[in-house]
Amino acid sequence: MTHEPTAVTTAAPAVRTKGLWKIFEHDGIVVEAVRDVDLTIERGDFVVLAGPSGSGKTTLLNMIGGLSRPSRGRIEVDGRDITDLTESRLARWRLDRVGFVFQAYNLLPVLTALENAEFTMLLRGIPPEERRSRVEELFAEIGMEGLEGRRPGKLSGGQQQRVAIARAVVGEPALVLADEPTANLDSKTSDGLIDLMSRFNRELGTTFIFATHDTELMRRARRFIRLVDGRVVEDERRDAPA
Amino acid sequence: MSRFLDGHAGVLGRLALRNVRRQGRRSILTSLAMVVGIGLLVFSRSMADGGHEDWIDAGVRLGSGHVTIQSPDFATRRTLAERLSPTDLEAALAAVSDVGREGGILETATRLEVRGLASSPGGALPVVVAGVEPDVESRFSQLDERLIDGEYLPDGDELAAFVGVDLAERLDLQLGSRLVLTGQDAAGDISGQLVRVRGIFRSGLPEVDTRIVHVRLGIARDWLGAEGSATSVALLLESSSLVDRSARRLGQLLADVPGADVLTWPEAMPELEAAVRMDDFGDYVFHIITLIIVALAVINTILMSVLNRTREFGVTRALGMTRRDTGAQVMIEGVLLSAVSGFVGIVLGLAVTWVFFRNGLDFSGLMENGMEAAGVIIDPVIYPKFRLPTLLGSVGFVFAIGVGASIYPAYRATRIEVAEAMKFEA
Ligand SMILES: Nc1ncnc2c1ncn2[C@@H]1O[C@H](COP(=O)(O)OP(=O)(O)OP(=O)(O)O)[C@@H](O)[C@H]1O
Ligand SMILES: [Mg+2]
Repeated sequence: MTHEPTAVTTAAPAVRTKGLWKIFEHDGIVVEAVRDVDLTIERGDFVVLAGPSGSGKTTLLNMIGGLSRPSRGRIEVDGRDITDLTESRLARWRLDRVGFVFQAYNLLPVLTALENAEFTMLLRGIPPEERRSRVEELFAEIGMEGLEGRRPGKLSGGQQQRVAIARAVVGEPALVLADEPTANLDSKTSDGLIDLMSRFNRELGTTFIFATHDTELMRRARRFIRLVDGRVVEDERRDAPA
Repeated sequence: MSRFLDGHAGVLGRLALRNVRRQGRRSILTSLAMVVGIGLLVFSRSMADGGHEDWIDAGVRLGSGHVTIQSPDFATRRTLAERLSPTDLEAALAAVSDVGREGGILETATRLEVRGLASSPGGALPVVVAGVEPDVESRFSQLDERLIDGEYLPDGDELAAFVGVDLAERLDLQLGSRLVLTGQDAAGDISGQLVRVRGIFRSGLPEVDTRIVHVRLGIARDWLGAEGSATSVALLLESSSLVDRSARRLGQLLADVPGADVLTWPEAMPELEAAVRMDDFGDYVFHIITLIIVALAVINTILMSVLNRTREFGVTRALGMTRRDTGAQVMIEGVLLSAVSGFVGIVLGLAVTWVFFRNGLDFSGLMENGMEAAGVIIDPVIYPKFRLPTLLGSVGFVFAIGVGASIYPAYRATRIEVAEAMKFEA
């Protein structure tokens, strides 16, 4: 399998959306989940999407990650317009360019922690030695040495999220999208996860975009965007990252 | 993890394998359905094959053998005019001895058969008189095993006759009774022969017990003016599976003898062939119903496992698996599950059939005086027969079930929308 050529220009931002809309329609009930969002996110940024429940955070994140299609508008990621990619090209693109961390149950229960972490590399056909050395290194960094062979069911929630984070960053994606990665966790555990992601952000330069209600995560964001009813109502840059 | 397990195919295979293993209890339940279904199939198939071998055996023994050599028109006309001439008979017997024991020929019965009338002071009835070689015939037809009175064509008694119990009753015959056989001889004239009843048999089959009379070949030839000839040479083979091969060989050897035709038992006795086929058909209907039940059980298992893993499929899709990958993963899981449980089913079915029934399954409680099918008396004890084609067929069925039962669940898995799936908790 070869990597698809991605038109990366140094000037291209990590994400650029133009006039982005998502409209759901079920049995005549129309929900405008995302309304006319124009957003440019720089590479290497650490961005939080906040807002009340139902404000469109997840919907926006899903569109940026190519998990659902916009009703209107365009999305560019890393200089590539993904709006019209076919579904299978989108899948391949996600595999190569995007890392995901979800709220919970991120890991495949039948694979070990290590196999979960290297899952996308397996799909990409990366040779075992390379896979192994990258994952082992990462496991040391996330403080999971010795737990490589465990199944997710035998890991704590925090440990599972660490593996999910390792899996998201291991392929050196253009972008990591994390939807409420710290929900369901106690504050000490979630602070640890935030530290971890912040460190990957600084050390690897990986762009992170979060959707969250976690105030600590909001506090640590370098850019803070608030959505209300699908619109951006606040967009603030903070120069003192935690 | 070896190198060739990398890339999509390897990942899918590994995921499928692990998932089948993880769903231990559910897999076992499916396995059970498979085991019972396939086991039943293997069992019933072996028993049916065994039963049919019995039918064929009984049919060929009482009838024209596995393979028969006769004049081309004898099958339809059944008169002495259509007999094997002495030279044709010689050629036929030469061909038979050429094929010989190595060709699977166990017995060779030369017969001179004629339709005629049996009369006694008590009355007259139409019969089929067969002039036979007693020692060969006793092994061939085993009719002498059904003797109830007297002897089977004793040595030195040229005029001995062996008759069925119903004929004896209706013509008021006892051992020693005189009987006149009348038939059309080789010259086309009606001629009679006096014989004496030396033995009485009961086959249990009314058609046989009223119609068949055995006499010695020599006396039949004298009576009918057919010196050195016969109406048929009937061959008993080691197994019905050798029929086609032997018939082909004999056909080649007798290619330049136009007066001698080689017929296999299905050709010579189409009604027996039809009965076996009918019974097979009944079996197939039963098998198909079994298979449908098994397939539904497998579909249910796989579908449940797909629906329970919606979020998981959402995750793998988000990470970069395509709809096709997901469908393939479910297909592999289904085929794997079916293969494993189907294999167990086949082995178990064979084992149970072998352990409990290799000494025969006795149906005699169900039938009185044996059972009759297509004019053949059947031993009420059926022995299972294990045939490779049957086993391969079962393996094929298992595979078909696996593939067939996985299609719908796999399709459902491909329809999962990632964004929707991620709303599921677990
Ligand atoms: N598939 C869908 N069909 C119809 N409406 C939907 C669908 N998905 C989301 N919505 C609606 O879109 C709006 C935005 O939902 P979204 O999940 O993006 O909110 P959110 O900000 O992530 O909320 P939360 O903080 O609770 O996760 C809501 O009104 C929701 O009901
Ligand atoms: Mg949400």
